Amino acid sequence: MTRFLLRRIAYAVPVLLGVALITLFLFHIAGGDPVAIKLGKNPDPAEVEALRQELGLYDSFARQYVEFIRQTVTFDYGRSWADDTPVREIFRRGLFPTLSVSVPGFLIGVFLAIAVSLLVAVVRGSLLDRTVTALAVAGISISSLVYILLGQWLLADQWKWFPVWGFSYGPGAVVFVALPILIWVALSVGTDVRYFRTVILEEIGQDYVRTARAKGLSETRVMVAHVLRNSLIPIVTRMTIAVPFLITGSFLLEIFFGIPGLGSTLFTAIQNSDLPVVKAFTMVGAVLYVFFNIVADLLYAVVDPRIRLE
Amino acid sequence: MTGTSPTLEAWKRFKRDRAAVVCLVLFIGYAVVALLAQGVELWDGPPFRYELTLHEIGLPFIEGATPPSSEHWLAWLGTTAQGKSVLVRTFHGTKVAFVVGMFGAGLSVLIGTTLGLLAGYFGKWVDELVVYTYSTVASIPYLLLMLALAFIVRQGPVAEIYRGLPFADYLSIGLFNIVFVVGMTSWVTLCRLVRAEVKKVRNLDYIQAARALGLGHPRILFRHVLPNVMHLVLINFSLTFVRAIKSEVILTFLGVGVDREPSWGQMIAGAKSELMQGIWWPLLVSGLALFLLTLSVNIVADALRDALDPRLKNG
Repeated sequence: MTRFLLRRIAYAVPVLLGVALITLFLFHIAGGDPVAIKLGKNPDPAEVEALRQELGLYDSFARQYVEFIRQTVTFDYGRSWADDTPVREIFRRGLFPTLSVSVPGFLIGVFLAIAVSLLVAVVRGSLLDRTVTALAVAGISISSLVYILLGQWLLADQWKWFPVWGFSYGPGAVVFVALPILIWVALSVGTDVRYFRTVILEEIGQDYVRTARAKGLSETRVMVAHVLRNSLIPIVTRMTIAVPFLITGSFLLEIFFGIPGLGSTLFTAIQNSDLPVVKAFTMVGAVLYVFFNIVADLLYAVVDPRIRLE
Repeated sequence: MTGTSPTLEAWKRFKRDRAAVVCLVLFIGYAVVALLAQGVELWDGPPFRYELTLHEIGLPFIEGATPPSSEHWLAWLGTTAQGKSVLVRTFHGTKVAFVVGMFGAGLSVLIGTTLGLLAGYFGKWVDELVVYTYSTVASIPYLLLMLALAFIVRQGPVAEIYRGLPFADYLSIGLFNIVFVVGMTSWVTLCRLVRAEVKKVRNLDYIQAARALGLGHPRILFRHVLPNVMHLVLINFSLTFVRAIKSEVILTFLGVGVDREPSWGQMIAGAKSELMQGIWWPLLVSGLALFLLTLSVNIVADALRDALDPRLKNG
């Protein structure tokens, strides 16, 4: 186990170095001119020159890369080019709005999906099962933008059940995040039900289930104590791998509902060629992705003794 | 059974799923509409009918946004906020969806299959390089990768090179952009699957025999290994096709997608302001067009999986 961990962590280093390289490279060919964005349309040439020097735009690629690595190790990406706020502060500010949508959305979505798929797996082949399966495939066939547009227009604009736009820090956020959470659930539940149903059906087909039934256990006990318990392995793994995406959040929902979270912040930063913010977000996203993948592998081995990590 | 093959067997299993057959027919119907739209475009030439308002076309009685009406066939599905025919725009959007879906999924599958085949077959450093590449690409936040690639095509040197290519006149850069982004960001899943499958197949007796006979690597790869992963390729192609059509909507909404011609993405993104004026029909029609195509491909993909990979069959 320790050897496995060490090897995975050692492998993460070149992957993260690669991510940094690609990010900087993409920025160099795709990025706009941050100076133009900061100084407006007709800046003083001397000022432009001074700012370019200050931002390190004339440094060689290799030097910028080394600087990027240094910043990643110390987690100090300096200040945003757009408004001089420390990047750390931008992160701290955006975290709550993002999590207040993504965490409830994710948890409600997953538990709803588990409950539904357990129910339909028990009555597989029935009208209920076929209806739910059909609804799930229909649900995943609608564009996410349609969900957001219709949800906002109908539930907020027309029926006035929710506010159309805005956010408030603290408990008042509930009012503003309710509709985005609802849409998050609608967007994710179809995919999850399809996946969980397959996982659960695979378990139901196993020999131990027949044995449990033959022992005379009740159907409820078979489903909960045996089938669900074993299905939890792939379900928990899938949930673990999804964690990093909760922190980056749904930028579309954030843009549409005016939630000042990390997703919409990254989106604005990319548009403004705000390199310090882009660098910080990319590396945090990549580190989390790599980290939670390792956690998922570990969890797999912990819950299933047949799997041996090497 | 005589005169049967695995493909024929799979087709027989597929045919038993009646919903999937209906969806396959629907998909073919869409493909025909897409071809027709391309044909009309070539036949008509500029100015394209989809760019004109019904007023300009010579129907002065239809002014501005009109709900679906039976007055003239161009207004059957209503007109947009600018007074353009929803029917004509949705019709041309089908072409865009197919270009994006076919080429986007094609590029993705090409990259994924090639890298997966090479990694699984040759192993050693080739394998390590491929695994490293996809681990790295998968670790980059998707939003960043997607937007950065989109910006590169639009404004970078790639745009310059692209304009010089022979097919640049037929495939606008906005469309190529989506194809490129989908291709470059969707190949990892298939690459992993193909690599794992090829690793299993590589050591089978008949591959060893082919090698002992002195066949070259390309021949073994294409004739003997590739057919073993074709089912994965086909299923993945259909799923990426769906992903491409959905990505067109998002990218167009973000302003880095289709811009010179009407697409479903444009109609859906345009609904943001239209809905506030009570104009709901462009969203309904384009959303429905996209929904039915996506649904049919999703159902065909499910049936393909059941038919081609009976081990995965359950229920």
